Amino acid sequence: MIINIDKDVCTGCRECAEVCPVSAIAGEQGKPQEIDYDKCVMCGQCIQKCKSYVSIVDHGTEAYAIKRDERNLPSSVLEPLFAAYNNCNLDKVKAALADSNVITMVQCAPAVRVGIAEDFGDELGTLAAKKLAAALRSIGFDKIYDTNFTADLTIMEEGTELIKRVTEGGQLPMFTSCCPAWVTFLERNYPEMKDHLSSCKSPQQMGSIFKTYGAKIDNYDPATIFTVSVMPCTCKEFECNREEMNSSGFQDVDVAITTRELAYLIKDMGIDFNSLPDEDFDQPLGMYTGAGTIFSVSGGVMEAAIRTGYELITGKPIPDVDVSAVRGSEGFRTATLKVGDLDLKVGMVTGLKNVIPVLEDIKAGKLDLHFIEVMTCPVGCVSGGGQPKLLLDSDKEAAYSQRTQGIYDHDKELPLRKSHENPAIAKIYEEYLLTPNGKESHHMLHTHYCTGENDHSK
Amino acid sequence: MNKKLGSFVVASSDQCTGCKACEIACFASHNHKDNKVVHTVGTVEIPVTPRLFLIKLEDKCLPIQCKQCEDAPCLNSCSAKAITKLDGTLLVNEELCIGCKNCMMACPFGALEMFPIAQKGKAVPQIGSDEPRKAAFKCDLCSGLENGPACVDACPHDVLKLMDLEDDRKEKSIRAAIALTLTGNL
Repeated sequence: MIINIDKDVCTGCRECAEVCPVSAIAGEQGKPQEIDYDKCVMCGQCIQKCKSYVSIVDHGTEAYAIKRDERNLPSSVLEPLFAAYNNCNLDKVKAALADSNVITMVQCAPAVRVGIAEDFGDELGTLAAKKLAAALRSIGFDKIYDTNFTADLTIMEEGTELIKRVTEGGQLPMFTSCCPAWVTFLERNYPEMKDHLSSCKSPQQMGSIFKTYGAKIDNYDPATIFTVSVMPCTCKEFECNREEMNSSGFQDVDVAITTRELAYLIKDMGIDFNSLPDEDFDQPLGMYTGAGTIFSVSGGVMEAAIRTGYELITGKPIPDVDVSAVRGSEGFRTATLKVGDLDLKVGMVTGLKNVIPVLEDIKAGKLDLHFIEVMTCPVGCVSGGGQPKLLLDSDKEAAYSQRTQGIYDHDKELPLRKSHENPAIAKIYEEYLLTPNGKESHHMLHTHYCTGENDHSK
Repeated sequence: MNKKLGSFVVASSDQCTGCKACEIACFASHNHKDNKVVHTVGTVEIPVTPRLFLIKLEDKCLPIQCKQCEDAPCLNSCSAKAITKLDGTLLVNEELCIGCKNCMMACPFGALEMFPIAQKGKAVPQIGSDEPRKAAFKCDLCSGLENGPACVDACPHDVLKLMDLEDDRKEKSIRAAIALTLTGNL
């Protein structure tokens, strides 16, 4: 299982149950808790919350090493181990890195670059995109690619899909599909609304281009490629293992690890993160714009889509690239944006609990919107379940706001801030995908829902 | 003015869920400086060594920590003169402590524990053995640390309170006096 609660360590405080957005944690107060896996969407917020640790006093001096082994963590890990934890897949990553016949490609979600430095003692929300690229190279990945690039690709596909639905009369409102916990929640609880979801794969899964286009440009045999994604999210491991995520002819993303696990790997390899030089991601699949970066904050996917959608619809540059009307951290907010003759009505949901009234209102015909962004975690992926875990809850607000600020600062400093202006995006369409929402891109970059474990019609 | 009685932290309500946020906060606040513990769990490289201890009973739980006794058995019994009292707070000097455990035997509350000591994120070794040096750990009310006591701040249910019994006694006496005046029996 991806998310676990260790019965030997859980004190039964039920603080995790308070943060679980889907009431998946069951148990008596004071007794070890259990996860209801039919409900759990694997967001990992319980992991972020849990403070009950493997302790010398309560569990003895030997317990730590035993638990560390049980959880498949490298023996270099020294940090406290808590009752709620996620499955660690670093052994698979290390095996691939050690195999000289394997080409390793890594992608890194936008939120990782404002999280990773925290685990090396930096201030909360420190932007470390260039050190991150250097760290991944030092680890030994053959190609340092980027989820920010595939986020730009998502915008090309999702923006085009939205325009099509609005102008040609498709299912509205359209929901974003980047967040696998949200997608899982809808599939299991509101399967009748699955056609509202954008058919676009998440940026991680658009990483299907690594084993195809990425293999082609460097003359690699796709069968020898092992793809790793580094995510602020515990649910991404579930997403990459979905049975339909094999457009490349192979499992598109072999393993997803969290920001925290990347920190373990960096330490395990004896890399001194703080003294790494500034380096860049590899080209062309590591080239990204500010739009790809802001995917990690609430309102960011919406803003990125608007930056591109506006220009695709009107043919004119957007008056202000900062679409402040969609920013914020409130659980549900709406905005109306003038896009040529169209009043584009959008909604942003952050925190999965807040989506239920929205879904009910849509079903009751009470909510008239074109496009809704949904993110499961409190303020988007920067607050994801796989991000560095805070020792004190009182740091939460600062962590959320500083990580968000780090993302917006990065967006501002990048020379290009609109996905369609990314020259590597133009090139991949020219050479491989041809046209957004076209035949090839549909095969590689789009998906369908309510499959496998999430097919609850069975 | 030095206080006549030492303050202490105590669980003052039955709302404790047993989450151990207090133990983690205690450990973090005591290791920012010497052991490079910053905001996140990933910056911790040493075992968690709290100075208060969550106790689970049959159907209740609460943390127990030092009462900063006035005639302190730990101080009185310390064979290495490693425990001193400063402004009503009992402090252990880790450098002087030899881990004889007299204080643990003497303390009627079980408020001290022997833990390995660490510096710069590494266990401090003993001179004659591979084992880490151990010393007595106890609540020092976050003496010398900013925003202490950390446990009081960290508790999500306001279970912990810094007790100042001189003020507390006065307050209670005033309430009693008011009550007496209201009865009209003066």
